[in-house]
Amino acid sequence: MSRAASNVVSPDAMLVSAIRSGDEQAMAQLYERYSPIVYSVALRVLGDTGAAEDILQEVFMQLWRSPDVFDATRGSLPGWLAVVTRNRAIDSLRKRRSETDITDVVVSIEPDLVGRAESSRTLEKIRGALAGMPPQQRSALEMAFFEGLTHTEIAEKTGEPLGTIKTRIRAGLLTLRKTFNP
Amino acid sequence: MSVHEQFADDLSLYALGALQGEERLAVEKHLKDCPDCRHELAQLQGDLALLALSASGPRPPLRSRERLMAAIAKEPRRTPVHLVKRRTWWTALEWAAAAAAVAVILLLLRQNTDLRQRVAALEANSAGQQEQLLQAKELTATLTSADAVHFTLVAGKIPPQAQGKAIYLRRTGTLVFLASNMPELPPQKTYELWLIPTSGAPIPAGLFRPDTHGSAALIKPPLPTGVEAKTFAITVEPGAGSAAPTSMPIMVGIGE
Repeated sequence: MSRAASNVVSPDAMLVSAIRSGDEQAMAQLYERYSPIVYSVALRVLGDTGAAEDILQEVFMQLWRSPDVFDATRGSLPGWLAVVTRNRAIDSLRKRRSETDITDVVVSIEPDLVGRAESSRTLEKIRGALAGMPPQQRSALEMAFFEGLTHTEIAEKTGEPLGTIKTRIRAGLLTLRKTFNP
Repeated sequence: MSVHEQFADDLSLYALGALQGEERLAVEKHLKDCPDCRHELAQLQGDLALLALSASGPRPPLRSRERLMAAIAKEPRRTPVHLVKRRTWWTALEWAAAAAAVAVILLLLRQNTDLRQRVAALEANSAGQQEQLLQAKELTATLTSADAVHFTLVAGKIPPQAQGKAIYLRRTGTLVFLASNMPELPPQKTYELWLIPTSGAPIPAGLFRPDTHGSAALIKPPLPTGVEAKTFAITVEPGAGSAAPTSMPIMVGIGE
């Protein structure tokens, strides 16, 4: 896979640094790069374009106002954006206040994976891994992640034992990890 | 690296935000002392990011970019405005408008709930209702948005004072709280609003950190219904908030 693109665009850490000094163009560049994933995640969780646009605005405004909420030495920006967006959207969906300090969210993932998602086989690979999971495992994982259901709620909904749900969620996540780190 | 097996499943659930109460506290306590499990948590967040990527596809409308860049362009130019007006008249008007807006919001939200139950029969009328709901959302967003500029109008050269206004409906446990001119907080601290019932312990009514202009809002924080409020109070608490006040109130409601 070509990595030429990374030679002509600023690395995320440089963009975040520029945002820290109030560079609007850096913010625009970051938005161009990652707004599709932020919007897609919010839309998948909320199922409403207006609400997804609100979350998109909220996430990028927070980055603009407080660039230090993301610590570039501790993880991948696109991965962090994806996870923080999901958490915000779930909080919004369940009308609850956030219990997690987003500065505590550390996301260990190869940064290029997210950037490549739309234009490469990465997305195909992730969806392939999900399609290859046992249906109950995938369903438990997606209910927990995209619907924000707790393991207890999933157990009640499916009639499966709580321990089984916990195991399925963890096993599903490990399956995804192995897709890129066999 | 080895993850402590007794925490293996719970770490996944913690990463998903699905753990509550003692289970959550136990994992957080363990994470403080266990670099291996912290590493595994970061890996699990990476796994969740992969799962998030599976949703890739839709692109935001162009107006989202315009909205963001317009909001950003506005920010640095925002300056506090000192307007000299009669304080009581304008303040009363401001709060009356907020109260009216809240009443409209509650009414529309209730109407919307009814609509959802009878959506098939009322589909023909839904366009108008949706418009009203959008207006309600806009009102809520105006009250809560960090982008909204708040002005405090004072008489003469009196400096603006920290002020909070709680509008509470006991029957539904609905609370709207607006604050202005709140002093800045240290990074690890937060303001916490408390419902002080006529009997019993204070009930947490939401955390807030004021924006750079000292303004903040809480709209419908989770509260039990039917609790008679003696007053409301604000304390300064650790960043994650507290289940019970850990400091003396810095502001207490005087009732009306």
